[in-house]
Amino acid sequence: MNSVGEACTELKREYDTCFNRWFAEKFLKGDRSGDPCTESFRKYQRCVQAAIKEKEIPIDGVDFMGPNKDNDRR
Amino acid sequence: MDYSGRGAAALSASRGSIAAKTVKGFSLSPSFLPSSLSGHAVICRRLPCSDRKTVKMKIWTSEHIFNHPWETVTKAAMQKYPNPMNPSVFGVDVLDRSVDTEGRLHSTRLLSTEWGLPALAKSMFGVTRTCTYVQEHSVVDPKQQTFELQSTNISFTNLVSVDEKLTYKPHPQDPEKTVLTQEALISVKGVSLSNHLEGLMAKTISVNASKGREAMEWVIRRLNTEIEELTATARGTMRSPMAAAVADK
Repeated sequence: MNSVGEACTELKREYDTCFNRWFAEKFLKGDRSGDPCTESFRKYQRCVQAAIKEKEIPIDGVDFMGPNKDNDRR
Repeated sequence: MDYSGRGAAALSASRGSIAAKTVKGFSLSPSFLPSSLSGHAVICRRLPCSDRKTVKMKIWTSEHIFNHPWETVTKAAMQKYPNPMNPSVFGVDVLDRSVDTEGRLHSTRLLSTEWGLPALAKSMFGVTRTCTYVQEHSVVDPKQQTFELQSTNISFTNLVSVDEKLTYKPHPQDPEKTVLTQEALISVKGVSLSNHLEGLMAKTISVNASKGREAMEWVIRRLNTEIEELTATARGTMRSPMAAAVADK
C-alpha cells in the first residue's frame, strides 16, 4: 500500500512491517512489552505530516460518533 | 422525508433494528409538512442534530459472521488495504498511534481514495480533483477482544457527512467465529433526503459493505498463505542440515 505522500511510501512500508509483526505477535497476545517501532514511526510521521500539509488535506480533531457520545458535530 | 410506515419498513428491511427504532413512531407524511422544517424539528427531538437544517439519519446497519477467530480477523482488518475489491483506495497512512493506560491501541488513519470519473466529479461538484479522504479512528482492546473503527469523510464535508462504525467481536457462542456489526450515518446539509435517495444510499453502502467483507476474506486468505509459506520454508531450511547430519553418519 502506498502513502498519500509518494516520497513516504518506503518509510511507511518499513513502519508497517514493524507494526504488523508487533501487533500480531506481541500486542494481540497480551504482551505489554515496549513498542519496537517508535523510531521508524517517527521518521515516517515527519514525512507524512509534511505531505498532508503540502496537499492541504483537511485533517482535524474530528469528533467521531461514539457509542455513548452525542453525535452533535459540524 | 417519508416517515410513514413505508419508510420505516424500508429501513428495517436492511436488518437495522436500530434504524427502524429511530424512524418508527413518526407517521408524518411530507406532503402536508411545510418544507422540511417541521419534520426536522420532530426528528431533532429523537436524533442528535447539530442544527435545525441538518439531519443525521442512521440509514443502514448490518451484522455479519466471519468463520475465523477474532485475532485473525483483527489482524486482517488492520491490513485491509490494498485489496482487489477496493481498488480506489490508493493510500493508507497512520497519523497517530498509542496505547492507553488500559492497554488499548488507538490509531488514527487517513484513507486516500481516487475515483476514476473526473468528468462526473466536475459536473457534480465543480472540481477536477477526484481524491476523497476519509479519517478513521480505531481502538483495539486485546483483553476484551473488541476492535472498533469509526470513520468519517473529510472531503466534501460542505455537502455530506458519511460516518461509519464497525465493531469486530468474537461470536458469543463460538470462539472460532467473529461477529462484525456495521452502521452508517448520513448527514446531508440543508437538504432533506427523499425516501428514494435514502434507499439508494443504503443500497450503495450495503453493496460496499459486501465488498468490504469479501476484501476481509481475501486478506485473511493471503495472511494464511503467507504463514503456510513461511512454515514450509522453515521446515525446508531445517530439513537440509538435518538430512546432512544423517547423511554424515
